Amino acid sequence: MERTVGQPVNDSFLRRIRKTHSRKFSTVVEVKDEQASQVCSFRTAENNPINHNTDHIARLYTVPIDIQRQIFQNGGLPGKFMKQVTTFQECSIMVRQPAIEIISYLNQVDYTRPVNKYVLYGKFGVGKSLTLCHILHYAFAQKYVLVHIYWAAHWFKDMKEVATSVLSPGCMDLPIDAGLWLKHFKFQNSKLLSELDLKVSKDYVWNQREMTSQGTSILELVEFGMNRIKYACGVIDALIKELKLASIAGKCKTMVVIDGFNAFTSSHTRIRNDNKVMVLPKQVSLAIPFFDITKNDWCNGAIVVTVDQTANKDRRESHLPRYLLGKEGFEHLDPFIPVLIEDYNIAEFDSMIEYYKDRKWIRNITSSGQRELELITNRNPFVLMDQCKFL
Amino acid sequence: MLSFRLRFKASLPQNLSKILKLFATRSNILETNSNESEQFRVLDLYPQTKVMQEKRKTRKTSIPPSRATNMPTDQDWPSVWPGARTFHPASVPLPLRQGYQEKGASPNKYANAELMKIPNFLHLTPPAIQRHCEALKQFCTKWPTVLENEEICSKHFPIEIISSDYCYSSPTIRDPLARIVNLQVKLSSLYLDTHAKDKLLRLLGNKYNPETDIITITADRCPLRKQNLEYAWYLLMAVYHESWRVESWEAEKSIADMEYFDWDTSQSRTSLVTLYTWPIPPTDYDYEIIPHATEYKIAVSDLINNGEDQYSVNKYKEAVKNLLNLKCDNKE
Repeated sequence: MERTVGQPVNDSFLRRIRKTHSRKFSTVVEVKDEQASQVCSFRTAENNPINHNTDHIARLYTVPIDIQRQIFQNGGLPGKFMKQVTTFQECSIMVRQPAIEIISYLNQVDYTRPVNKYVLYGKFGVGKSLTLCHILHYAFAQKYVLVHIYWAAHWFKDMKEVATSVLSPGCMDLPIDAGLWLKHFKFQNSKLLSELDLKVSKDYVWNQREMTSQGTSILELVEFGMNRIKYACGVIDALIKELKLASIAGKCKTMVVIDGFNAFTSSHTRIRNDNKVMVLPKQVSLAIPFFDITKNDWCNGAIVVTVDQTANKDRRESHLPRYLLGKEGFEHLDPFIPVLIEDYNIAEFDSMIEYYKDRKWIRNITSSGQRELELITNRNPFVLMDQCKFL
Repeated sequence: MLSFRLRFKASLPQNLSKILKLFATRSNILETNSNESEQFRVLDLYPQTKVMQEKRKTRKTSIPPSRATNMPTDQDWPSVWPGARTFHPASVPLPLRQGYQEKGASPNKYANAELMKIPNFLHLTPPAIQRHCEALKQFCTKWPTVLENEEICSKHFPIEIISSDYCYSSPTIRDPLARIVNLQVKLSSLYLDTHAKDKLLRLLGNKYNPETDIITITADRCPLRKQNLEYAWYLLMAVYHESWRVESWEAEKSIADMEYFDWDTSQSRTSLVTLYTWPIPPTDYDYEIIPHATEYKIAVSDLINNGEDQYSVNKYKEAVKNLLNLKCDNKE
């Protein structure tokens, strides 16, 4: 309440204002009241995704700031949503039906059987990536080792550097991207990996002088890859193999989360080899281990991927999974469980509007204004977020 | 005159030379302009205005009012307009208008080239057609009693020949388009096995319409209709027998050449059996022992053969869920 506008000239004037109009001008008290009254309607206090179930659908939960820093430090949240997170000073994700569905599958599945694959699909902007973030948070809370690619198409579209591979002849390396991914991996899993204390099962020889001998910890292997990014792709290959072996042996659980998986099955990349010929994703040494880990020849884990129209250049007409994956991609993932993500339903839309009101992101919206917003956005989450910027 | 003469005498001696001179010059002028009268020429500064021509008087001819005005309403129209003919305003008692004017209504029917350009069907009124038919009836034979409906007709006469006749008034009655012959036959009326049907469809290409199941062979390369008809018969026969023939290279057909998705030879079956027997590699790809495998097989085949849509994807999802023994108990 105490406004410190300590201008000596206006002092007497301000005092007068405070006496007469202070209640009208203050905002702090009102906000607290609103939050207290609406906390049950659109928010859930249950911030641990392990406990999320159908009762929490269409409500927002907040990812604790330390976990957000740990999982999404190097990317993971979509760019525009990240801006909103910064503005709102909290990372609130809506609990939605597809995420709850997958979480329930993950809870009931038999982990001695080969891994199951879940493919999220839906039109542009319906929240595939955010559902993936929710599942990633769940997996983090369940102490899975996270193998997370936050946007696979980056590697084939905005790659940093291309080099001919030494370790796997005939392939192309993306050393800097591989190094960045290792950094991301380490950020997400450093605590868990130091707890689990996984060891390398065999010797990996990088060159005449450098090698990673049997019994070295996985974290050291990752560190090596980060320091010697020339071998980062090879390190990722070794790391994925080790993770698979460790999962099969039951030492750890692994969650593979890839956003825009159909970039791997695209027939177009911007990577060129020495002869200026386009290189397909399966000839990129960085992509090969992820092809390997998305096979169902290991257990104690799960694979959650999304397919997105914007992830590949050649197939964009439909959002359905078989079309986006193409023949080879479908055969690679098959059998998988396709999970459709749709636009908000009425309850979700209302709670999102309430949330925006609560964050003072939109103000003074009438019920007809809300109806108009519903109609012009068609309850599409991304369009809603975009349209509410101006309100 | 007398005085002049006197004066002339008096001054003769002085003026003689002048007079001589004057005569000399005068004779010169006379030589040059011998045909002009002895008037001064007039300088026309303003040319005279032309005399307005009189307007030609229009000849008045007495035209009787057009026949259309005094036609009775119950007249026999087919006898007024018995055959195909260019539009004539006086014969058609209809207030027709055709064409476009910048301002005002469309031009009326008199002296209207637009109405004359378009073909009319004034000779093909229902009563006229009925009369034609009545007149032609005596030349027709009776419809076979067995061929009651369309189905029986198409069963006994599966082949349909379509060609067009053209009649119009021009120096020649031949139309080049009349030579074109279409032969239509239903694919289901041909006797074919799986191989022959597949091969026939590949040979026919776009001449087969899968929606109506009709093969259409069009022949237009010969100058006469009869030749084209024979050629169409020949083509149908050739394509039918060719589709029954099995060539040696047909054994090389691979999965990419398949006209439909066959789950039994697909990667999907292999991966299913491998998944089921994991971690032991499968010895034989027998899927019968796997629970819900048949449902899955049907779902995958439908997804790929019938095209992907929301329904087929949901069906596939349910099949995979049953296969993996997963339950979704939280559907709204």
